[in-house]
Amino acid sequence: MSVTEQGLLERDKDTMTLNMGPQHPSTHGVFRVILEMDGEVVRTAEPEIGYLHTGIEKTSENKRYGHVIPMTDRLDYLNPPGNNLAFCLATEKLIGVEIPERAQALRVIMCELSRIASHLVWLGTHALDIGAMTVFLYCWREREMILDLNEEISGVRMMTSYIRIGGVAKDSTRPWLDGIRNFIDYFPAKVDEYEKLLTKNPIWVDRTQGIGVLSREEAINWSLSGPALRASGVNWDIRKSQPYSGYEKYDFDIPVLKGGDIYDRYRVRVEEMRQSRRIIKQAMEKLPTGDFKAPDNKVSLPPRETLHTSMEALIHHFKLVSEGISVPKGETYVPIEGARGEVGFYIVSDGTNVPYRVKLRAPSFMAIPGMCQMMTGCYIADVVGIIGSIDIVMGEVDR
Amino acid sequence: MTAEEIIEKLKASLPDAIQDTALPQGDAVIFVAPENLQEVAGFLKNDASLKFDYLSDVCGVDYLIEEREPRFETVYLLYSIDHQHSIRIRVGIDEENPSVPTVSELWKGALYPEQELFDMFGIHVEGHPKMERLIMPKEWVGHPLRKDYPLTTETVAFSHNRDYKSELVKSKPPTR
Repeated sequence: MSVTEQGLLERDKDTMTLNMGPQHPSTHGVFRVILEMDGEVVRTAEPEIGYLHTGIEKTSENKRYGHVIPMTDRLDYLNPPGNNLAFCLATEKLIGVEIPERAQALRVIMCELSRIASHLVWLGTHALDIGAMTVFLYCWREREMILDLNEEISGVRMMTSYIRIGGVAKDSTRPWLDGIRNFIDYFPAKVDEYEKLLTKNPIWVDRTQGIGVLSREEAINWSLSGPALRASGVNWDIRKSQPYSGYEKYDFDIPVLKGGDIYDRYRVRVEEMRQSRRIIKQAMEKLPTGDFKAPDNKVSLPPRETLHTSMEALIHHFKLVSEGISVPKGETYVPIEGARGEVGFYIVSDGTNVPYRVKLRAPSFMAIPGMCQMMTGCYIADVVGIIGSIDIVMGEVDR
Repeated sequence: MTAEEIIEKLKASLPDAIQDTALPQGDAVIFVAPENLQEVAGFLKNDASLKFDYLSDVCGVDYLIEEREPRFETVYLLYSIDHQHSIRIRVGIDEENPSVPTVSELWKGALYPEQELFDMFGIHVEGHPKMERLIMPKEWVGHPLRKDYPLTTETVAFSHNRDYKSELVKSKPPTR
């Protein structure tokens, strides 16, 4: 039963404007939406963004390529390695450098760990919005393990900047690998536990099933991507369709559901966590030996110990640190599958060590108009559920 | 279809509308004039063997420092979910009264990035239902991502490295 068909348009002037956000706990950041209400039903939803505008694209035009990477962490702050990887892949495509297999595998492990962490934040906060407190605490418990792993490998818990142009920042360590092995053994039972709490819970199903529906055609037309698109029946995952960093070597499934509602988005993401764990397990089993960064010293720093014996290494080190990487003239776009959907960087290079233009294709930014489309005709109580189900991160919306 | 096949097909089907083509790093790129954009975009979306049904993004670029004509460029990133191929449309836009027709009738996802084009570059998108600022405040003056818009104009009371910073700012000072 559609709510809009209940003769609501008859009472034309009897509406109330309700402001939601930017300081609303359920808008997941500083997202503001102006709702025109007809009783309990949303007539129109007008999004308002820009409260977290930091000018990262402008700043990037004045920084060297290597210096942009820490800023990409702060775009989608729940999935920093995904942003690092998108930027590095675009730069590497312009330079034309080959990445060693070990570096690629380490990148994949890092990205998938952070996808799990990001989905855990989403599940916890989304469930909390709808009223399930316990899931939030459980999700944070498992996310903490991933943040500890991040700290072990990069020294930072969230803004890792681990993926660099030409490879990764440093090689894997024994405690990190052991920690991941522990985690992949421990995690599947925990996902089952979340599902036990929610999937067949009548309150959860009532609040999510059939709400915020977007059909396949609409979802494509509104440029939704990632889990939100796959929940509407579109079988499109960039890891499968345009593989990067060796994703074609791993065996994993793409969960696709047809409902297009909040419930299906929830089930897609939960299944994605299991698939990410599968990818990490395979990457750990056949972690190749070799370099963790490209041996090309014009792109990545030479090994520290060679600086004492090799003049060329010293010069390369000096030039890379003082000048940075010079990228050939050109423009390119590389998309990857981030935790929220298609993350891509459009980079224009003028041949110097500073990018001429950096543009982020942010999945959350592109999803906002479609999300507000879903809100029209739903109840006010479901607005928080819809915002949560799209999983927006304002850092990448406002940039 | 491969990038070469897409370009061959477009050259054969729309010989007048396509200004130029390129294959940088194997990506299909076409250059289109603003007046032909809607025709080309409509063909790309509706042709059965191309079927670019997904708009990834619309980017703006200001080529002021490169001193090339025309000054602005908008880039449309398209993808076909069924055929799994992609294309970039580059549209050059003149400095005087920069404007470009909207593609939001074909892809509704273009509404937001086109509004951002206006906000950040001052490129007027014809036919867009809401041509106003998106990210910057409504009363903001200037378009931040233009190259003649300085990186910072904020005065800092105590700065030991101001000279160093002004070196870093490559942009020309604002004309206003």
